Amino acid sequence: MSLYKNCLFLLFLLIDINAFVSGDVNFTASEATNQLKPTLSSSAAGVVNSAVFKPFVDSVFSLSLLSSFPEDLEISDYCVELLNVFGQRYVDYVKCLVPAARPVRVCQNCFSTYGKLVDTYQNISSDQMGPGNVSCRDSLLRSDRLMLVYQLYSNLEDLWLKSDCDHCVTEKFQSLTNATLYFMTTLNQTITCFDKYKEGNHTELCKNCKNTYRGLNELYGKMEKNHTLCIDIEDAMNMTRKLWSKNFNCSFPREETVAVIAVSSFMLFLPIIFYLSSFLHSEQKKRKLIHPKRAKSYNSLMNIQDKLS
Amino acid sequence: MANITKKVSWSSRADESAAAGEATPLLNGSEQPQHSRQVRLAWKLTWGANLEIGRLSTVDLEEEITSEEVKSELQTSPTHTLFCLLLLSLDYDNIENQLFLEEERRMSYMGFRCLEISRWVVCGLIGFLTGLIACFIDIVVEQLAGIKYQVVKENIEKFTEAGGLSISLILWAVLNFTFVMVGAIIVAFFEPIAAGSGIPQIKCYLNGVKIPRVVRLKTLVIKVCGVICSVVGGLAVGKEGPMIHSGAVVAAGVSQGRSTSLKRDFKIFEYFRRDTEKRDFVSAGAAAGVSAAFGAPVGGVLFSLEEGASFWNQMLTWRIFFASMISTFTLNFFLSIYHANPGDLSNPGLINFGRFEGDSVTYNLYEIPLFIAMGAIGGLLGALFNVLNYWLTIFRIRYVHRPCLQVMEAMLVAAVTATVSFTMIYFSNDCQPLGPESTEEYPLQLFCADGEYNSMATAFFNTPERSVRSLFHNQPGTYNPLTLGLFTLTYFFLACWTYGLAVSAGVFIPSLLIGAAWGRLCGILLASITSTSSIWADPGKYALIGAAAQLGGIVRMTLSLTVIMVEATGNVTYGLPIMLVLMTAKIVGDYFEEGLYDIHIKLQSVPFLHWEAPATSHWLTAREVMSSPVTCLNRIEKVGTIVDILSNTSTNHNGFPVVVQVPGTKLCGLILRSQLIVLLKHKVFVELARSRLTRRKLQLKDFRDAYPRFPPIQSIHVSQDERECMMDLTEFMNPTPYTVPQETSLPRVFKLFRALGLRHLVVVDDENRVVGLVTRKDLARYHLGKHGLEELQLAQT
Repeated sequence: MSLYKNCLFLLFLLIDINAFVSGDVNFTASEATNQLKPTLSSSAAGVVNSAVFKPFVDSVFSLSLLSSFPEDLEISDYCVELLNVFGQRYVDYVKCLVPAARPVRVCQNCFSTYGKLVDTYQNISSDQMGPGNVSCRDSLLRSDRLMLVYQLYSNLEDLWLKSDCDHCVTEKFQSLTNATLYFMTTLNQTITCFDKYKEGNHTELCKNCKNTYRGLNELYGKMEKNHTLCIDIEDAMNMTRKLWSKNFNCSFPREETVAVIAVSSFMLFLPIIFYLSSFLHSEQKKRKLIHPKRAKSYNSLMNIQDKLS
Repeated sequence: MANITKKVSWSSRADESAAAGEATPLLNGSEQPQHSRQVRLAWKLTWGANLEIGRLSTVDLEEEITSEEVKSELQTSPTHTLFCLLLLSLDYDNIENQLFLEEERRMSYMGFRCLEISRWVVCGLIGFLTGLIACFIDIVVEQLAGIKYQVVKENIEKFTEAGGLSISLILWAVLNFTFVMVGAIIVAFFEPIAAGSGIPQIKCYLNGVKIPRVVRLKTLVIKVCGVICSVVGGLAVGKEGPMIHSGAVVAAGVSQGRSTSLKRDFKIFEYFRRDTEKRDFVSAGAAAGVSAAFGAPVGGVLFSLEEGASFWNQMLTWRIFFASMISTFTLNFFLSIYHANPGDLSNPGLINFGRFEGDSVTYNLYEIPLFIAMGAIGGLLGALFNVLNYWLTIFRIRYVHRPCLQVMEAMLVAAVTATVSFTMIYFSNDCQPLGPESTEEYPLQLFCADGEYNSMATAFFNTPERSVRSLFHNQPGTYNPLTLGLFTLTYFFLACWTYGLAVSAGVFIPSLLIGAAWGRLCGILLASITSTSSIWADPGKYALIGAAAQLGGIVRMTLSLTVIMVEATGNVTYGLPIMLVLMTAKIVGDYFEEGLYDIHIKLQSVPFLHWEAPATSHWLTAREVMSSPVTCLNRIEKVGTIVDILSNTSTNHNGFPVVVQVPGTKLCGLILRSQLIVLLKHKVFVELARSRLTRRKLQLKDFRDAYPRFPPIQSIHVSQDERECMMDLTEFMNPTPYTVPQETSLPRVFKLFRALGLRHLVVVDDENRVVGLVTRKDLARYHLGKHGLEELQLAQT
């Protein structure tokens, strides 16, 4: 991601330099330095890549293919600044996300960085005019086919929505909700219990941790109904259930096979009795045959035919 | 226009016999020249011998089956070799008597336009009401089934831990048992005709057989309640077939503008109170029912076309299509309100197959042979289903014919269904993780790990429609092959056992479910065999093909079923495979056994006329087919004679040729029993007319008011004096009945009957004397059996 961003910055720089070189009268040196500043202060992450990009810049520069644009099409300093901040926060969020992928902690760990990212993006996309009566929405978000800033943001937004983190985080991304915190506490209790009895016989564990586990399960069920689940909770619950059922084998055993078989064979036996008894005891329905009136010309006709022949 | 009608009516009034005489040449062309008759008679000799053998062998068969003496004339009921005498025909032929002509003359141009408009209004109403009923059934079933499954689920969860799952089993069984008991009691004791899917009955109605009480309001009520009970009761049934019947009843009711059951007459649509008009509306109602059930308006129209196509024209088709569309739209609209997003019209049909989208729709040329093979499997399984159901139905008709026994049987089936389902779920080891977009409404965990659910339970512990949908659309890997195999096997037998019980329930959904299960199994196996290409990976596609194959193998519908499936999946891409599959299924299935509906029509001893006369029947002439001698009436007949003829229980004729005694007895018209009864009721006697001149003239309206339940002759009191009066039938009889000469061949007679919807066909000799009468029963008794042409027997229940 940051690679692309740097590329973008370098491109801007390039355009400016070109403009300068071509000797546009309206362009002053001070402006040029202003333009350069954001690039120089460009993110730390970009440092590594800048070396890689140098040759490309050089080659383009040497060819001098790009000429400058008139001033009113350029983006303002303010917007460049915003873009810069956006990039910084973007990197922060992604950096937070990746280590939280497994086991999933994306909501607990990264909600604050996401909140900051959202703030920046809202600044960019808002209608409000910044200093110097400029709105960065059009220039940054939708002035080209790629719409890079928008795409980058919407990808992360999708992730956020998919993870349902909204359900676990309070408004304005202040903190985790109380329900989430409570769930985490209960979860911790259960895990502690598991750890305590992990050694040795698992039946012990199944018996002793049953109550906490069931409490956790019920809590989870309740939250599921209230739609207050997020991916962190779901994943944690999933893992706990797997531990409980697969590792410790605490699922319910199939115990009453005999009773079930007895009841069902009794049920299956009933229709046989029914059909047998109705076969033996019920009288058959009778029908009376009716001989319809027919002209018995059939045979007589044949006779006539015989006579004729 | 008016002038011409006047002239015709005048001339026919003046000379009845001449008019009747003119009717005969209509078919004189069918008389064959003498020399070709010689050849035909020679043929007849050889074939006649065959016929005798055929008859004998049928009798032998009877003896084997029933082990009773045929000579005693007491035949054990009912094999398909019998006809029920009580089933009457409908009068689809318009009676053009003088009253009719007069009424037509009085009617203005505007009157006819209004009639046309009111036909459209009636069709709209039919669609609307059918949609409403479908919506009602859907919502009630969903609610009640939801409650039931919730209760059972909670119970199972409680007892999984505490022990005592057999109690859950009993609870489930008892719940099913109770619902089905209610459903079976109302059907068996109050309206037996509401049993089953109702499609055979509607088929018969459109064919022209008057099945008693089939289109009554009471039947509709019982049908709707019965369907709800049986689906909620967890039987292996669907609510789609009954929807068609319901639509037909709605149509028959609305178009008449009154309800005889409720004794309300709204005084509207009086013109439509005859069989011809009613039949048109009933076919519209059936179409609306199909379209509400499957969300398939075109499929509905084609269903009506397939089942009763002998009377179609473009305007009627267009109207029927209108009714279908309105019905789907209504259902959509009200379901959208129910699902709390009014205005969203994407809920077509009671059964929603869901959308097949994305990669799952694609199929390749090399898959076509596979589909055809699946069609063949479907045909085989369908034939097996039908054979089993045939024997079961025979057993039921013979031994389980009392209502209380029928109720008990239905209850037992319900209990066993619950038991089998529970046992399958209990012993299933197929656990699947709860998906993120989990479609299972009532996931059962039982002995699965936490966070997983029993996969068998999604198939059994659910209403059948939902199971079908999950088989179509769940991701690959949702079901184990073993689960699917077991499910197919058990559900096959359960569905086969259930169809024919005294509950109102359809066979569409169970067939689809069986087919979807083994189709999905095929898909999974194919994927595991090849394992390389991803094209096999979607078992949902094979589930759909399997469902189509199984349904086609059981009901053997072709055109309409293809369109219904295509419309219900909302995907034209599958048109070709579905068509091929249905064709194969029909061809393979027909080799072994008839379609399920045809079997049931036969078992109900209905004189059903198929598309064509049986092959190799050209040598049979009207002379052999007709009933003779015929009870004729004179044009001016004594009341006593008429009453005696009508009261004669042993004959029970419905149409009487009217003859006039100029030099010999010549045919001059045909009059129906219902008309005679109305005449007797209003005492239209010659003497009375003379004495009271101010007396109101009888109008067509009087006949319509009595329609369709004409009082029996016993309820009409005729005094001794009145018996001596005379009745003039001239005005009321149909002066131009269809007649054929004696030498007309059976297929020709058959074609007349089928195409014109006739009820009586008079056979006359060359001097226009009545020699016989051909009715539906005379024609339907011939069928092509294994030993050539066979003749069926008439029977009285």
